[in-house]
Amino acid sequence: MRKKLTAVLLALTLLCTGILSGCVTADPSADGEGKEITVAISSDTGTMDPAGAIALTYLAYSVSALDELLTYDENGDIEYRAAESYEVNDDSTVWTFHLREDALWSDGSPVTSADFLNTITRALDPASGSGYANYLFPIENAEAIYNGEADMDTLGVETPDDHTLIFHLAEPCVYFLDLLRLPVYTPSCSEHADSVDSGWDRDPETSLANGPFRLAEYVPEQYFVLEKNEYYWNADEINLDTITYRFFDDTQSMANAYEAGEVDVATSLSSTVMEAYEGAEDLFVTDQIATRYIYMNLNVEPLNDVRVREAINLAINREELCQIVGSDTEPTYNLVAKYMKDKTTGEYFVDEAEQPFEENVERARELLAEAGYPNGEGFPELTYNYPTLEMDSDTAQVIQEQLKENLNITINLEAQELQANYSTRYAGDFDLCRMNWTADFADPYTYLSMLLSNSTYNCSGINDSEYDSIVNASSSEADSVKRSELLHQAEQLAVGEQFYIIPLYAMKSVNLVNPDITGIRQIPASGALEYRYADI
Amino acid sequence: MLRYTWKRILTGILSLFVLVTVTFFLVRLIPGSPFRQGGVSEQVVETIEQEYGLNEPVLTQYFSYIGNVLRGDLGVSYQDPATRVTEIIARAWPVTASIGITALAVSVLLGTGLGILRAVTKRRFVRELISAGGMLAAGIPGFAAAILLLLVFSVKLKWLPASGLLSPAHYILPVTALSLYPAAMIARLVGNTLDSELQKDYVLFARAKGIGKWQIIFTHALKNAYLPVLNYIGPASASLLTGSFVIESIFTIPGLGREFVGSITNRDYTLILGLTVFMGAVVIIVNLLTDLLCAWLDPQTRRAYKKAGDSAK
Repeated sequence: MRKKLTAVLLALTLLCTGILSGCVTADPSADGEGKEITVAISSDTGTMDPAGAIALTYLAYSVSALDELLTYDENGDIEYRAAESYEVNDDSTVWTFHLREDALWSDGSPVTSADFLNTITRALDPASGSGYANYLFPIENAEAIYNGEADMDTLGVETPDDHTLIFHLAEPCVYFLDLLRLPVYTPSCSEHADSVDSGWDRDPETSLANGPFRLAEYVPEQYFVLEKNEYYWNADEINLDTITYRFFDDTQSMANAYEAGEVDVATSLSSTVMEAYEGAEDLFVTDQIATRYIYMNLNVEPLNDVRVREAINLAINREELCQIVGSDTEPTYNLVAKYMKDKTTGEYFVDEAEQPFEENVERARELLAEAGYPNGEGFPELTYNYPTLEMDSDTAQVIQEQLKENLNITINLEAQELQANYSTRYAGDFDLCRMNWTADFADPYTYLSMLLSNSTYNCSGINDSEYDSIVNASSSEADSVKRSELLHQAEQLAVGEQFYIIPLYAMKSVNLVNPDITGIRQIPASGALEYRYADI
Repeated sequence: MLRYTWKRILTGILSLFVLVTVTFFLVRLIPGSPFRQGGVSEQVVETIEQEYGLNEPVLTQYFSYIGNVLRGDLGVSYQDPATRVTEIIARAWPVTASIGITALAVSVLLGTGLGILRAVTKRRFVRELISAGGMLAAGIPGFAAAILLLLVFSVKLKWLPASGLLSPAHYILPVTALSLYPAAMIARLVGNTLDSELQKDYVLFARAKGIGKWQIIFTHALKNAYLPVLNYIGPASASLLTGSFVIESIFTIPGLGREFVGSITNRDYTLILGLTVFMGAVVIIVNLLTDLLCAWLDPQTRRAYKKAGDSAK
């Protein structure tokens, strides 16, 4: 009997091995030659075409593989990448960039101004589905071309020779250099990059890079491998030979894979990891350039009363909120992200001015009484819409509790799936709605412009001509000190006088990094990690 | 029999059609747009939606979609216009199927082996052990078992990989998690039916003729005892072949289940529908094959089918 059982077991093992061998892809990190690291990133979404639908995959890829014209380092100094120098006219409307003459694509062909124009013209075709096309609209006629009202040859981009790229802007834009890190301003090789649906961007043969690494292999839903680009103009500064990016669905799987030693870097993990790894060398906590806040719908009674908006803002205890929500949050009283730097001074922008308001429950009660709701009597029940993420659910409950206790007003909670919450917000179909904004570029304008009357992110019916004129004046103010004053003035008006929003907290990014890796940097604009100068 | 088969195929096609229709409208009822993500302006979202014909009346969209499906065109993924839905299925299904088939093989072999052992063993301890183990395996939900296995064998002991499907070792944990429940069910079914089968007269007769115990089990009793098991294996294999959303997510396996979850999160309408059509077809085909197999094995059912076919004349 024992013999027969053994036979059954043997047959079982054989069968499984037979089936398994048919469907196994090679382990990307198995060959083990040279310096290599494996990075865990969020699930495979979007394309790798800078003119296409941009999502996490592109963002991870471009940081290592593409050189933008220029960028800023952590001190706010310009770091020239694809460009060598630039000039701008007096009213900041004509920007001329001189490209590096020794810059090559990863197949050895030269990088030209036409390659930059290639991304721009393709992104302005709505069929490309570029979510960043609106960042091209400062360029003359770009918006009209996107809307099909003008021809492509009227676009305000000139390429007089292979190494000169000139942008003519419709209006002065002093923060134009900050926009250059966005996908639509990065190059795509005009020889191969023809359209978003040809698949050129994930084929190592045609997906050329002008940065330190090039695409070597792409396996959908599993991983992609970048290898050092030997043609890179600054290749001597690059230490790693291979970076493998592996896709994960959730942060728990990433943390597990890090624990099991399958990846060297896992980013944006939950705050519980911070507690579990406290004091460990692996823990690498970075500041996110982001603000979580709440929109109050100005079309809803009584939120149209500034006294009510102020009362709600003053009645929330953000310190207590952050203690409950998690150690990766920090209270904020501003719209502009807590850790965004003012490039002219090198300091955090929000630290340069007084805090827009102070929490004060007594004052909040008085304000509410002045508005006609003493001790919350007669105050209508409001609904708070927020996404079903753990952090937002915790936040919602704390705020509900605090407002009940401090102002005796009732907030009903309505959790929604993330996409549904986006729709509710865009439609303006809410009383209170959660919002989170991660900076697109390193200038306070990325935040303040959201509250302009004509902004698509202004979902709560803000229509303030004074605010509009201050913010608009800031984009053409070439004097950086005066401009900074305007921006502070705008923020004080929106957050500290009109109380259009309820700022809640800034967040930290909890990452696990193999302690052997050095030289990982943080991109000042977004707070994301950059591995191009890393070493192991 | 042939007439009956045809009837079943036609019903299957009709069910698929109903499935597609219901899914099509349900998907459009979920709030949210496939193109609205963090940094996209409203103007851009509208222009892109026009580009994909999403601004047209839903009925127009529906008829054009059905027309395309009939031509075998499931469209392109909204998230990734360079990839056709059929390509995504062709890429993800072999992954799901390889795990599913392995898990099926493991459950059938393990379940049958343990079932036989439980029926024939004279030791009470062994019988109770198998029963208790089966109860435990059937009682723990798949996701809990998966997380437990992952924490013990990958995170703590570091014996087995935690994510992906890069080597044969990567199969062990997800396959184990997937097989636990079906193996327990099969063991119970085999054990019970074999038990009662072994009490029957023909077994006694065979033994009286001096035929060995194992020969009786494998050539006679098991064959009869296996029919109810086949009826269970059919639907179970359909579910294994269409992928487990939870197990694939926990182990980061690039299969159908994970694609499906992702497509819903992203509101990738064409991909949601394409996957629904495909999974629906797999379930219908597998169930049809199981029924036919049962009929072929069991003369009684075969006669019943024949009758059903005749009465439809």
